[in-house]
Amino acid sequence: MIVPSVVLGQRAGHVPPSDRILFGGIGIGGRGAHVLSKLLKLPEAKFLAICDVRNERRETIKSTVDQNYGDRDCRMYDDQFELLARQDIDAVLIATGDRWHTPLSIIAAQHGKDVYCEKPCSMSIEESWALAAAFRRYNRLYQAGCQRRSGANFALCKELLNAGALGKLQTLYANVGPSVNWPPIPSRDWLAGEDPPPKQVLDWDRWLGPAHWRPYHPSYVRGGWRNYYDFHGGGILEWGSHTVDLCHWAAGYDHTQPVEYEPVGGNTGPYSVNCKYADGVKLVMRDNGWEGALNTGSCSFRIEGDLGWVETGDRTTIECSENIRPLLRPTEPASLALENHVKEFVRCIKTRQQPSASAAAAANSHVACHAAFIAFQRGKTLTWDPARGEFTNDDVANRMRARSLREPWRI
Amino acid sequence: MQQTTTTPAPAAAPAKPTPPAPPPELQEGAIATMDGAGLMGILKDPGSSEFQKAKACVRIGELGVKEAVPLLAALLTDEHLNAYARYGLEPIADPSADEALRAALGKLKGNLLVGVINSIGKRRDAKASPALVRLMRGPDPEAARAAAAALGSIGGQASAKELTAALPKASGALKMAVADAALICAERLLAEGQREQALALYTTLSGPDTPRPARLAAMSGIIREETSTGRPR
Repeated sequence: MIVPSVVLGQRAGHVPPSDRILFGGIGIGGRGAHVLSKLLKLPEAKFLAICDVRNERRETIKSTVDQNYGDRDCRMYDDQFELLARQDIDAVLIATGDRWHTPLSIIAAQHGKDVYCEKPCSMSIEESWALAAAFRRYNRLYQAGCQRRSGANFALCKELLNAGALGKLQTLYANVGPSVNWPPIPSRDWLAGEDPPPKQVLDWDRWLGPAHWRPYHPSYVRGGWRNYYDFHGGGILEWGSHTVDLCHWAAGYDHTQPVEYEPVGGNTGPYSVNCKYADGVKLVMRDNGWEGALNTGSCSFRIEGDLGWVETGDRTTIECSENIRPLLRPTEPASLALENHVKEFVRCIKTRQQPSASAAAAANSHVACHAAFIAFQRGKTLTWDPARGEFTNDDVANRMRARSLREPWRI
Repeated sequence: MQQTTTTPAPAAAPAKPTPPAPPPELQEGAIATMDGAGLMGILKDPGSSEFQKAKACVRIGELGVKEAVPLLAALLTDEHLNAYARYGLEPIADPSADEALRAALGKLKGNLLVGVINSIGKRRDAKASPALVRLMRGPDPEAARAAAAALGSIGGQASAKELTAALPKASGALKMAVADAALICAERLLAEGQREQALALYTTLSGPDTPRPARLAAMSGIIREETSTGRPR
């Protein structure tokens, strides 16, 4: 019997089919397609299936994937359970609207899949904990789409803090979504209803999924769902899921959350939430404009110690105090962060090591964001007990830790 | 200090087209700041719109207005407002909310019933367990799965016994749901210090009859517990 060398992985750069990680995808739109483009480059992964409630998106992704591999193997589904029931699929990429992230991730874990899920990972404090619990329960791997954890400029800032170059940590700054783009408190209004398209084009009920019913309007489906409370966590979640996450990662707070949240400002104009950890370190979530006051780019964060400070963002430049400059070194283009992040996930699937943006880490940073979001809505300083997972000075805030899901969905 | 010169500057905030505006009748407006009496007034008023009732339900839940329970319960039969009513009921820390949800079990079918079962599970209402067991054994597959999940969430030895008994009889999606519920029940038992019972449940789930993801999860649970530094020695 003659076995082609490609099957055995003996040709340089070839991975034998049996060693490939097989992927499916759910809800791949613009952002998801960007993540998918990194996945498609990896010889150790193969993308086999796409599920979407929108037929044109299913077909677009199938076309992209088939063209990439030179075959017609990518299967299309409109029911996520059919895709998840496939025994051959090891992992799924979830890039739906935010409302689906936690429920779908948990369902995927229940089906034995590892998950790469776009941020924000949850719609509430309750969902954040449920997500972490499910991935621990099923011993599955989860990589949150917090790809800046895999960015060299962000890693260098973390390294400088951890090496003691900045001295004792004083304050972390996380730039949150500018209010001109995403107000901190999204609207609870509805748009005027229009006739929905035929179900085979778009199933409005399934598009809504766990979000509460409202009349159809095409704007939601075109991305206008952002800035509506039922679908979105406002500016704090929009960027905080990246930048607060970076602060936690850099400072070693992946296991905890701040104990105090003081909202400053209103729903228009610059706003901030001043937070404090139990050890006295401060975290300032602030609307610092799109590029940041130091022009370090979107989603920037800053670390201040008693000996120096550093700040970086998506421009990859690092601004710092004079004493730190000699310690800087060239970093990498911002585009590599996502590539590194996807590669790390695939590597972890093989080694069964936890990815850097695990469900537990994501839960802690997202709970901090949700707590700040609730403080902003309440318009008062809230105190939080991380051990008990509850606010200690506001019953209304405690009732806002969860959102009910529309039937039949649950977490 | 510039480290990388090859990186193109990211685009500035993209110019956004003017989004459509909600019409006045679909704006939350004053409802956002109403007290419990005002919000209940909306639910009582036959002239209130679906939108106004939806918003009132959510705010009632946030304020925890227990006097509104009967008004919320009356909306559980409404196809569009069921979830909003449950949004109101779920956070109200009063037994009347449990009673209202329990009472609705016998009146609803389909997804509306599933929603109420989910809310009961979320509130961990042990008094609903007999009804949930009946639903888990009943003919509606969606309700059976939801009931299993609710029993797992409620936890305790009684739920563990029912889920263990249901596992070998279930198949397909219900079997997955029962196994998942049993895993959660085991975690509840561990949290309540009932280690032996939790390990026994994990052991049951480790058998070949359990769907593979849950079987592996049960094995992981045993390993996690047996290797925990906090285990009895």
